[in-house]
Amino acid sequence: MAIATAPGRTFDEPVTDHVSRIRALWTVIKRKPLGMVSAGLIIILVLTAIFANVLAPYDPLAAQPEIRLAPPSWAHPFGTDDIGRDVLSRVIYGSRISLWVGLLAVGIGTCVGMIVGLVSGYWEGRLDLMLQRVMDALMTIPGLILALAIVSVLRPSTTNAMLAIAMVIIPGNSRVVRGAVLSAKQNRFVEAAQAIGCRDYRIIASHILPNVTAPILILASIWLGNAILIEASLSFLGVGTQPPTPSWGLMLSSTGRAFMEQAPWLAFFPGLAISLAVFGFNLFGDTLRDAWDPKLRRQG
Amino acid sequence: MYTYVARRLALSIPVLILSSLIVFGLMRVMPGDALTALMGESGNVSPKELEKLRRDLGLDLPYYKQYLIWAWQMLSLSPGDSIFTNEPISVALKKSIPVTVELAVLAMILGLVIAVPIGVISATRQDKPSDYAGRVAAITGLSLPDFWLGTLVITFAAIWFRWIPPLGYASLWTDPWTNLQQFLLPAAVLGFRLSAATMRMTRSTLLEVLREDYVRTAWAKGLGERIIIYKHALKNALIPVITLVGGQFGTLLAGTVIVETIFALPGMGRLTVEAILFRDYPIVQTNVMLVAVTLVTLNLLVDLTYAWLDPRIRYQ
Repeated sequence: MAIATAPGRTFDEPVTDHVSRIRALWTVIKRKPLGMVSAGLIIILVLTAIFANVLAPYDPLAAQPEIRLAPPSWAHPFGTDDIGRDVLSRVIYGSRISLWVGLLAVGIGTCVGMIVGLVSGYWEGRLDLMLQRVMDALMTIPGLILALAIVSVLRPSTTNAMLAIAMVIIPGNSRVVRGAVLSAKQNRFVEAAQAIGCRDYRIIASHILPNVTAPILILASIWLGNAILIEASLSFLGVGTQPPTPSWGLMLSSTGRAFMEQAPWLAFFPGLAISLAVFGFNLFGDTLRDAWDPKLRRQG
Repeated sequence: MYTYVARRLALSIPVLILSSLIVFGLMRVMPGDALTALMGESGNVSPKELEKLRRDLGLDLPYYKQYLIWAWQMLSLSPGDSIFTNEPISVALKKSIPVTVELAVLAMILGLVIAVPIGVISATRQDKPSDYAGRVAAITGLSLPDFWLGTLVITFAAIWFRWIPPLGYASLWTDPWTNLQQFLLPAAVLGFRLSAATMRMTRSTLLEVLREDYVRTAWAKGLGERIIIYKHALKNALIPVITLVGGQFGTLLAGTVIVETIFALPGMGRLTVEAILFRDYPIVQTNVMLVAVTLVTLNLLVDLTYAWLDPRIRYQ
């Protein structure tokens, strides 16, 4: 983790202010073209999701059976599906589901994982041992299979898929935060804060938390890509978003596979959208790591 | 080494017990119970029949008794019957496990065959076009959903070559040629995805090793590039890659769920998805637990291999 010290600061308090972090990120983005590409892809995805109703040329649910399975054309650049719905409009609206599920799942997973990691790393002892064994146990089940099992219990829906993905994120996050807390605790400023009688919650909030935000944000960015992928996989398997809501994974499994020989565009464009979104977040996670974690930067 | 093995074994047992509690608990947090949900969907079952069925399946017993019975069934390798088909789960597993194992092994081999050479080229030609190409290929592999890649592969094989994988599962032992035709594409799809992370890891560890003093000494002695890279550097660089490959079994097993569904292979992944769709909870909990046991065992084996390769680990 990047711990730089500024002259005049007492007890080696690390520089963790947002301005220096954003500046470091901007430097890396400017230097590495792939960083710029990832930031561009994420901005496009976010803007598409926000302005879906303005950008989509047609209603994503409006069927026009007379133009069913029409190939890509000027009027319908991504073609139409089996009941004549415009695929471009559905892909544009699908970005909302993917981003919404991704953001909420990662938000919930990161917060809960962070709390577990903070409690575990700061107080250690029996509680740590117990919590970490539960996390170990959760990690023995692969993400998609755990999410599938959770959704099977809760019934298939977008909200339940989101909760399942959040559950998948918690153990890995808690592990990383715990490690970062254990290392942050070794700093002299934490010892000093304890010596002058600061309360635990204050030490956590003002001295520990700022030191663990970098790994949390790096992980969150990578997890966003994975969350989009898991949501799409769950919808593909029929246990995520339900029809007729436009979701990329569902578009691929329902019409995409059924008509793959007659209308390959039905499978091609939603898949391309998922790949670009995941690619953007994965690459952005790498860029964040390069900017904020000099130890890993050397390894490339 | 024996102490290390004993310690690692002892640590795995509580984790497995906790996993089983989580899996069992998960299947019981459903509002009502699994049977009510299942029967509620079919809609024409009288409360009396429902009660009888619940008694037959042992769902009227206290949770701890249900857990102990299930744990015993798992330990004695007789995990009960499917509530949907009434077929013993062990019979269904006997048919599906070889399919998944074959797919996973083939995918792992293909993944390594793709990943290690590209990782080596990427590291030895750092910041050259071939390095950039390798890195982009790796991150693309991480981003391409296997269900999309699988769908595209089937689609384009059918459109361009008028070829679709033979239908109906053929065993490796009875009809190896048909079996290979059925497994090669799904294994390649899974292997490509697996290769991405291995490629990145091979590149970064090899870069690190190439900067070590002993490699510099080898260069100074005038040894050839091939010997330095393959005999001196790669051997050490591959040690962390083993851990990564071990950690990828989870991704691999999750991948088989998708790939088996797309390529219609009757493996464990497809069995689990079908059980989830039919809310056949005994199969779901057995399969999820089996995956957990497999992963814990494989991770243990990887850790032991790692400790055997790198003696420092044993003494930490």
